[in-house]
Amino acid sequence: MRSLYVRSFGSKLIWGLVSSFVIVVCVGLTAQTEETRMEIQTKNWEGRGIENGAVIFANNCATCHGQQGQGLQGVAPALNSRYFFTRRLGDVGQDGVMTLSNYVYLTVAAGRPSKDNSQWANRMVPWSSQFGGPLRGDQVVDVVAYVMNFEETALQQTASEDPFQPFLDVAKPPEFQNIGISADAEWTPVQLAVTSVLPMGDRDPDYLFGALACSGCHKLDEPQAPSSMGESGPNFGTIHELGTYRPEAAADPAAYLKESIVSPDAFRVEGYDDAMPDDFASRMTEEEIDRLVQWLLDPNRVIHTRDAEGNIIDE
Amino acid sequence: MSVQSPAPQKKPWFLALLSSLDGIFVYLTAGISTREFRAMLRGDAPGRPNTRLTPHADAFLLHIKPSYYHESVTRFTHTYRLGLLSTYLFLFETITGIILMIWYAPTPERAYVDMIRLLNNVPFGQLMRDLHRIGAELMVGIVTLHMVRTYLTGSYKPPREFTWLTGVLLLVITLFLSFSGYLLPWDQLAFWAVTIGTSMAEAVPPVFVGEIINLLARGAPDIGASGLLRFYLLHVLFLPLLLILFFFVHYYKVVLYGISLPAQEEEVGEDTANRVPANRRVYYLPEVLLDEGTFLLAVTAIITAVTVFLFQAPLEHIANPQQTPFHTVAPWYFYWLQGLLKIADKMWAGVIIPGVLLVMLMAIPYLDRNPSRRGADRRVATISGIVAGVLMIILSWMGTPAYAVQGAPALEVVEKLMPEEKVGISRKIGYKHIPLGTYDTRELITTDDAEFAKLLDEFVHLLEVWEEKAPDFNDPWGLLTVTQDQANLKLLRWEITWISNAGTEEYFKQDYWLHKDSYYWEQYGRKKFGVPEFLEMQNGG
Repeated sequence: MRSLYVRSFGSKLIWGLVSSFVIVVCVGLTAQTEETRMEIQTKNWEGRGIENGAVIFANNCATCHGQQGQGLQGVAPALNSRYFFTRRLGDVGQDGVMTLSNYVYLTVAAGRPSKDNSQWANRMVPWSSQFGGPLRGDQVVDVVAYVMNFEETALQQTASEDPFQPFLDVAKPPEFQNIGISADAEWTPVQLAVTSVLPMGDRDPDYLFGALACSGCHKLDEPQAPSSMGESGPNFGTIHELGTYRPEAAADPAAYLKESIVSPDAFRVEGYDDAMPDDFASRMTEEEIDRLVQWLLDPNRVIHTRDAEGNIIDE
Repeated sequence: MSVQSPAPQKKPWFLALLSSLDGIFVYLTAGISTREFRAMLRGDAPGRPNTRLTPHADAFLLHIKPSYYHESVTRFTHTYRLGLLSTYLFLFETITGIILMIWYAPTPERAYVDMIRLLNNVPFGQLMRDLHRIGAELMVGIVTLHMVRTYLTGSYKPPREFTWLTGVLLLVITLFLSFSGYLLPWDQLAFWAVTIGTSMAEAVPPVFVGEIINLLARGAPDIGASGLLRFYLLHVLFLPLLLILFFFVHYYKVVLYGISLPAQEEEVGEDTANRVPANRRVYYLPEVLLDEGTFLLAVTAIITAVTVFLFQAPLEHIANPQQTPFHTVAPWYFYWLQGLLKIADKMWAGVIIPGVLLVMLMAIPYLDRNPSRRGADRRVATISGIVAGVLMIILSWMGTPAYAVQGAPALEVVEKLMPEEKVGISRKIGYKHIPLGTYDTRELITTDDAEFAKLLDEFVHLLEVWEEKAPDFNDPWGLLTVTQDQANLKLLRWEITWISNAGTEEYFKQDYWLHKDSYYWEQYGRKKFGVPEFLEMQNGG
């Protein structure tokens, strides 16, 4: 038929054969590379999961656990820590019971309910929406993937590089003491946490407020009012009106504030427990504390943007 | 009186076998003997009576097809086989879709995870998903082209008015089928495109009706578990059934009135389907069947080749109702609606104008009283059709973020280099082409990496472009700090500082992480899975 688009039976046959051949080759090529492709895709989505986890960590976890996972003394333990990856599971009696990744998952999802004998300022709250937290299940999975990705650098740490702090919540009975150490028996972490990168003495108040993790409990941009109470510690948005906290302190706010930093248990605002660490006097010089108090009482206080070493970068 | 039948002749056993095989062949082909089949292959003309017509009477699928066509409509350039292709793509989507359904559960907890599982763990899973996606995009395009062809040849004129009307309905169903499938991967792209789409329904007056429609579509004030389930059921059950129903109405009319002949051979209103001169008949068996078969095979080959080497269905971050992506867009075939929404209010652009357009489109055969189908007599119709098409294209362009949407300049710059979703230059060059260090746009930066040099050049260039474009963005300079956040994970900190018109210094910062194994296929322009240099890149990168 001259008017048909493919004229002869022969050319139709060739068209059909060529097309079938192309399809077979394409599907065959796919079949051959399928194993590799799935492997690459698996790594790809693991990688993207870690990227997502990094964002969640920076927004939710870094305040207490440190931007590099190095922890903050008195606030939250180090995660980028050889101790954490080699011993922690054994110390909580879970070695061989669960994996570290599951332990991290459970802790992130459900929080850390017990704080007995703990040196940390805050309880870790549940983060998964399943337990009333703000993160969806997939976000918890991603942030766990990010935390677990500290492993490679953590295992390279020498004992003195490990930002590990001894956990006071683990009072191990003697019969459990060897659990988790077998592969790494010689290695004992010695150093306490790197509390801050800058040396003591001349640090700016806005830096201290972040580095000593005051910001973990006290929000600077929210007022303390009956409708807006800080969750773990009073909000500092209206701290210059000190009457909000303790009416009789209005006469000498600076003295009250200093007392609260040096010995937090002297007076506690109603509704808060003794979460505030009482060792700040040893972690700041007298002068630093005075400047911190002045800074806190100034409603126009300045907060600089800083890099990981604490240097100001927004000037 | 009884007639003595002759004694049955004894056949040799092999002839008896052949004749019974021939019987089976006739049974399977619903009436074609092996002898006739060989004649078809040789290209012999049919005998009289034409025994090749038997399957059209006996077989269900063939009884739907006409037994012969007018020679003039079998020309490829007359119909471009677009109607056939639309039907085929529906079948294609059904098959790939059912395969995909095996690995998919329509709940927010599982949908996205299932997508990743499909890509990671299911052999041919990615191919199926890519084929389904490309088939869907193609189907919208082909159905539209089918309509354009019918319009330009005036084939909607009597007696085919109703065929046109059902065709328009099929186009609408196709659009909704494609759109309802959009939500199912449950990623940011899906979630926000559908949020935009359903929010248009909210504009239906009066207010409470719009709210009810929106509520019915989403299953809740916002899209969530109920909305996903509803879109899933629409996509896999309701809309396909509706499409099948209207398809058969449409196709019955096509067979009843025949495919319209070229304008010079057929007067409007003339019944040419039942009066095809014997010498101009082209029988379906075998000529047209072979034609259609080879055509569809060739199309399938092209789709498969393009999918295997070039195309990958997008999958963005998991749907996050709390976070609207920077530039949210509807699917491309609704860009024109988004364009309308930018220049008119929601009620006009989202309901009244599309509604009137749809009714007018369906009513074209009843409005156009021009009794001729010849191009020379239809100048007004042709020109208005072209004008409408151009308007659609312009409106579609206006629907893209290129028109009248502008974020803060600093955000625009960073979004171009490393967007929140999609790829951008940074992810395109990838982890290994982004060396650690601090890069300041005010300084002349030298780098050994040509790819990275291009990225930095673009950074400088974009800052200049936006300084010129945005009035409140003076003397901007940028800082890119790349640090090793974790093993195999780099942190890219984008910082931009500029002077506002008030003379104050403004600052913008955005952190993005990039993992070594994150594989954004656009990096390579085409898929290279399994190709040696790709593997090397993965291992050595």
